[in-house]
Amino acid sequence: MASVKLTNVKKIYDKNVVAVHDFNLEIQDKEFVVFVGPSGCGKSTTLRMIAGLEEISEGTVEIDGEVVNDLQPKDRDIAMVFQNYALYPHMTVYDNIAFSLRLKKVKEDIIYDKVTKAAEILGITDYLLRKPKALSGGQRQRVAIGRAMVRDSKVFLMDEPLSNLDAKLRNQMRAEIIQLRQKIDTTFIYVTHDQTEAMTLGDRIVIMKDGYIQQVGTPVEVFEMPSNLFVAEFIGAPKMNTMKTQLINEGEKYYVTPFGAKIPVDGEKAKMLKEKGIGTQEIYLGVRPEHIVMVPEKSESTIDCTLVVNEMMGSELHLHVNTEDGTPLVVRVPTMNLSAEERDSLHAGSTLHFTFEGKVMHFFDAESEVNLLVDGPAAPTESDESAETAEPTETVEPTEPTAE
Amino acid sequence: MREKTKDLNHSSMKRHIGIKAQTHISNTAIYVILVVMSIVWLLPFVFIVLQSFRVESTYPVGYVVPQKWGLDNYINLGKTDFWHWYLNTFIAALATAVLQTVIVLCMSYTLSRFRFNGRKALMKFILILGMFPGMLTMIILYRVLADLGLTQQNALPGLILVYVASSGMGYYVSKGFFDTIPKSLDEAARIDGATRAQVLYKIILPLAKPIVIYTILTAFMAPWGDFVFARYVAMGTPSGYNVAVGLYSWLTIDQINSRYTMFCAGGVCVAVPVAILFMCLQKYYVSGVTGGAVKG
Amino acid sequence: MKQYSDLEYLKLSKWHRFILKIANFFLGIPMWFAHLGIKIWTYIKKFGIAVKDTFVDIYETFQNGDYKTRISFFIMGFGSLARGQILRGILFLLFELVFIFYMIFAGAHWLSLLPSLGKEGPELNSHYDPNLDAYVTVYHDNSFKILLYGVLTIFFIIALIYTWRLNIKQNKISQQILASGKPLKRTKDDLRSLVDEQFHKTLLALPTLGIFMFTVLPMVFMILVAFTNYDGAHNGFSNSLFHWVGLDNFKTMLTWTSGGNSYSAAFGEILVWTLIWAFFATFTNYFLGMFVAMMINKKGIRLKKMWRMILILTIAIPQFISLLYVSKMFAVNGIINGTLMKWGWIQEPLPFWTNPTWARVTVIIINIWIGIPYLMLITTGILMNIPADLLESAKIDGANAFQQYTKITLPYMLFITGPYLLTSFTANMNNFNVIYLLTAGGPANSAASSAAGSVGFTDLLITWLFKITTGAESQYYMASIIGILVFVVVALISLIVYSVLPSVKNEEDFQ
Repeated sequence: MASVKLTNVKKIYDKNVVAVHDFNLEIQDKEFVVFVGPSGCGKSTTLRMIAGLEEISEGTVEIDGEVVNDLQPKDRDIAMVFQNYALYPHMTVYDNIAFSLRLKKVKEDIIYDKVTKAAEILGITDYLLRKPKALSGGQRQRVAIGRAMVRDSKVFLMDEPLSNLDAKLRNQMRAEIIQLRQKIDTTFIYVTHDQTEAMTLGDRIVIMKDGYIQQVGTPVEVFEMPSNLFVAEFIGAPKMNTMKTQLINEGEKYYVTPFGAKIPVDGEKAKMLKEKGIGTQEIYLGVRPEHIVMVPEKSESTIDCTLVVNEMMGSELHLHVNTEDGTPLVVRVPTMNLSAEERDSLHAGSTLHFTFEGKVMHFFDAESEVNLLVDGPAAPTESDESAETAEPTETVEPTEPTAE
Repeated sequence: MREKTKDLNHSSMKRHIGIKAQTHISNTAIYVILVVMSIVWLLPFVFIVLQSFRVESTYPVGYVVPQKWGLDNYINLGKTDFWHWYLNTFIAALATAVLQTVIVLCMSYTLSRFRFNGRKALMKFILILGMFPGMLTMIILYRVLADLGLTQQNALPGLILVYVASSGMGYYVSKGFFDTIPKSLDEAARIDGATRAQVLYKIILPLAKPIVIYTILTAFMAPWGDFVFARYVAMGTPSGYNVAVGLYSWLTIDQINSRYTMFCAGGVCVAVPVAILFMCLQKYYVSGVTGGAVKG
Repeated sequence: MKQYSDLEYLKLSKWHRFILKIANFFLGIPMWFAHLGIKIWTYIKKFGIAVKDTFVDIYETFQNGDYKTRISFFIMGFGSLARGQILRGILFLLFELVFIFYMIFAGAHWLSLLPSLGKEGPELNSHYDPNLDAYVTVYHDNSFKILLYGVLTIFFIIALIYTWRLNIKQNKISQQILASGKPLKRTKDDLRSLVDEQFHKTLLALPTLGIFMFTVLPMVFMILVAFTNYDGAHNGFSNSLFHWVGLDNFKTMLTWTSGGNSYSAAFGEILVWTLIWAFFATFTNYFLGMFVAMMINKKGIRLKKMWRMILILTIAIPQFISLLYVSKMFAVNGIINGTLMKWGWIQEPLPFWTNPTWARVTVIIINIWIGIPYLMLITTGILMNIPADLLESAKIDGANAFQQYTKITLPYMLFITGPYLLTSFTANMNNFNVIYLLTAGGPANSAASSAAGSVGFTDLLITWLFKITTGAESQYYMASIIGILVFVVVALISLIVYSVLPSVKNEEDFQ
C-alpha cells in the first residue's frame, strides 16, 4: 500500500535512443493508474523501470517516499503480472504461487493458507496440482495474478495482462480485475495498448506517445477534454473524425466551416472560446462519430456525403461516408432512432446530409495540435527533441550482431 | 485425399490414379535408396565386428568373414596397455564432462541473460579468436605442461586441463537454447524475490535439462575421439596414451600386421559403450544439434 | 549506372535483372570498403576521444579529490580502505603489492631480456664442475621462457594500469556518493552482489580466465613466434637460443619463387586444395543430407525412426575408429580392393590412396559418409519447421515437387542455415581429423615438398601445420605463419559472407 512518484524519469538506450522522456507522475496510495498508448510509446519501459527490470537512465522513482533507483526488483516490494504470464513451467500451480513466499522463508502452513485463499478468490483451487502447461490461457492468467496477490506487496504492476487472451475472455477478465481490485485494495499500475481497457479500469489514465506523456486524467476528462489531437483520436471507438477547417469568430458567436458548411458552436464550448479570447483562425476540428447528426433537409449548416459502407453493429449503425471532396467520415447512428424506411434508404451510393452537434466539438490548434480550450504547455512532439526517439521500445533486447 | 476422390468426376479420377501410381513408384525408389544407404552406412561397422573375431591371422586381409572364429583378440587386449588407455580416456571423459559442462553453462547463461559492458566485445573477441587454428597453441601448451610435469606418463591431468580450460569458447549452442527460455521468467522470479543466482538454479537449470544433457554428452564423447593433442602430450609414452592414440599406433607400418585384428577388437570395446550411451541420450543430442545450427 | 524505380525494375527482363544484380554486387564492393574505412576511422576517432577523456577524468579526479583519493593514486585501495570498503581496498592493495613483488623478482628480468630473447646460449659442451665432481652443462638463458614470461609480464602491466584506473574511478564515485549524503556499499553488500546484480562476474570469472590462459596467451605467443627463428634447431634452451628475425619468415612464405619446392608454391597449392575441399565437403554434405532428410520425411515413408537411427549410429561411434577402419578398407590390400578383385571386376587394386586425384575424390566421398547423418539431423528439424501453409499455397499455385523445392524449401533452408554453412565451411577448412586419419595427407607430393616438409596431395593447411610442427625440423615459426594465414583466410571469408551476403539474403526474408 503505497504511493509511487516518478520525477523526471528518462530512459535512454545506447546513448542516443530515448525511449521515455522526462516522465513526471505522482500515483496516490490505492489508486489504479493505467498507462496507455500505441506500441513503442514507452509505457512498458516506464513500468519496467518502476519494477527495477530496466535501469533508470535519469530521474528518480520513489515508492512510499523512498528512492528505489538502486534497489533490485526483489527489494522494491512490488508484484508484477506479465503479458505472457511467465509461469515457471516446471512447477505446479501451487508451487508457482508459493515461490515468492518460500524465498522469503515463510512457514509452510502460512504459505498453505495464503495460497489456498488466493486460489479460492481466483477460482483455481481445482488446478493447484497441475503444471501451467495443462491450463488454459485464462487459468494461466489467474495463476499469474495469484502469484502476485500472495505477496501483499506495496504496488501491483500489470504489463498488458490481457493481451494474450481472446476477445471474449478478455472482457470477462477485465470485469474480474475490477472485482479483484476491490479485494486486494492496493496501488495498481496497469499497462495496455487498448483504450477500452484503460477507460474501464483506470482511476486515472496516462496517455503516452513516443516516450512523452500526452495527457493524464480520469477517463471522463480524457474523453471529454482531450489535450491534443493525438489523445482525441486515440481515445474512443470508432475514432474521432478530425478535419482541418476555419474557426470563425463573429462577435459573440463562433462558427466552424467544414466542407463549405457553416456550423455554429453552441453552449459551453462557445462560452469557453470567448473566455479565452480566441479569434478567427485555422484549426483542426474534432467531432466524435456519435456527435454527427443526420438531418433530412439540406441547409447552410449541413454537409453532403455519399454513403460508402453501412456497418450494422446491432444497437447502432456505423456509416462510413465520403464528403464531396472525398474525405472519409464515420457516423454513429443509434438504430432505435431510425424508422424502417430510413434504414432502407441507407444503401451505398445514397446521398445524406449531416451536421455536427455544436456543444461537443473539439478545437485543436492547426500548428501545435493542442486543444484550444485546455490550459498548460503544449505537449512536446518528437520534432522538438534532437535525440532520436526509439521506435521499438517494447523490444528490450538490443539487436544481436549477425555474427552470433 | 481419399474422401475427396468420390466427388471427383471421371477424368480427374484417372489423373488421380496416375498420381497414386507415381507416388507408389517414387516411394519404392526411396525405399531402395534408403536400404542401400543403410547397408553402406552399417557395413563398415559390421566388418569391424567380424574382423575382431578373426583368429586365423592378425594382419589386414581382403575378405570379411573370418575363416576361424574366436575371442583371442579380445583376450589379447588384456596383455597390452589397452585397458590402461581405456581407463585414461574414461577418466578424461568423465572429468571433461563435468568441468566443461559447468564452464559452458556459466558462460552461455551469462551471455544469454546479462547485459553488461563489454558483453558484445567479449563475444566478438571469442569469435575472432576462434578463427585461429587451435592446433597452433599445441606447441606452447605442450612446453608449459612439460614444465609443470604434466606430459608423457602424467599426460592425463594435463589433457583434462587443456580440454576444459578453453571450453568457454564453445558457448554458442547452449546460449542459443537459453535464448529460447523467455526472459520474463527470470524477471518474474526476480520480482518474486530471487537473487540472480537463485534464478539460475531454481528456475533456469531445471528448464535447461535438455541442453545440460547435450553438453555433458558432447563433452563426454570428445575425449574418446581426440587424437591430435593426446598424441602430442603423451609424446610417445604409451602409458600416457588415450584409446585413440593407442589404437592409431597399432596401425603404424611396423605394428599393423601383428595388431590389426586387435585394433578391431579394441575399436568394438570403445564403440559399443559409447554408442549405447549416445543412443540412449540421442533425443537431447538431436535437439542440441538442430538448435545450434539454426542459431548459427 | 541508371537507377531504376521499383516499378521500372519490375518491367525488366529476367536477364536484365540478373545483369543488374551482378553489376550492383560489384559496384557494392568498393562501397563496402569505403564504409569499412569510415567505420574504422570513426572507431579510431572514438578511441582517441575516449583516451583523451580518460586522461582529463584522471586529472580532474586528482584536482577535485580529497587526500584519500589523492593517496590512492599511489597506494591503490587506500581510498576504499579509508572509506570503510575493506574488501575492495584489500584487493586493490594486494594487487599492487603482488605486482611490485613480481616486477622486482621476475618481471623486470623477463622484460629486459624480451628484446634480445636471451643473451647467453647454452654451452655446447659440458664442462667439469669441481664442486660436484661431475660434468655439467650450463644452459643460461631460455628464449622460450623469456618470450612466454615477457608476454605475461606485459599483460600483467596492462592489467595493473586497468586496475589503477578502476581504483581511481572508484574513488571518484565514492566521493560523489558520500557528497550526496548516501552510504557507501560495504563489504557485505559487495559479497552479496556477487550472487545477484554482479552475478555475471562470478559466472564469467572461471571461463574467461581459462580462455585467457589457455588460448589468448598461447595465441599471442605463437603469433610472436612468427617473427623469430624458433624451431627444432633453435629450441631456446638446450641447443641454441632463438631470436627476433623481423619479417623474414613472411618473406620466405610469401615470396614467389619458381620451382615447386618453395614455401610459397606449397602454400598456394595447399590453399587451393583446402578451399576446394572445404567447398565440396560443405555443400555435398549439405545437399545430400537435406535430400536424405527429405526422403525420410516424405509422407508415406514408413519406419522413419529406424532409418534415422541407422544414420545416427555412425555419429555415436567415435570418429577415429570409423575413419581409421574405413581408411584401411580402401587400402591396396583392403577389403574393397580384395572383394572387387575376387569378383573379377578389376585386375589391379584401385589406387584409392596412392593416386592424387583418386585420393582427393575418395576423402570427399568418405566425408559424405561421415557428414550426411549430421546434416540429416540438422535439416530434419528445420524442414519440419517450414510452415506447412507455405508449401500448400505453392502447391495450389501450381508448383510441382521440384519447383516447391527450389522456390520454397531451398530458399528457406538457405536463409535459416546461412550462418551454419559459413561455420561449417571454416570448420571443414580446419578438418584435421578426417584428412589425417584417412590419408595423413598422402600421397606424397614430392614436387611441393623438400623445403616445406613432407607435403601430400590431400594435405590441408591445418595438417600441413601439424606436420611442420611435429616433423623432424619442427619449424615452429613456419607453423605460426601458416596459422596466421589460416586466420586471414577464414576472417576474409567470414567478413565477405557477413557483409556482402545479407543484402542478398534479405531478398527472401522469411521472418
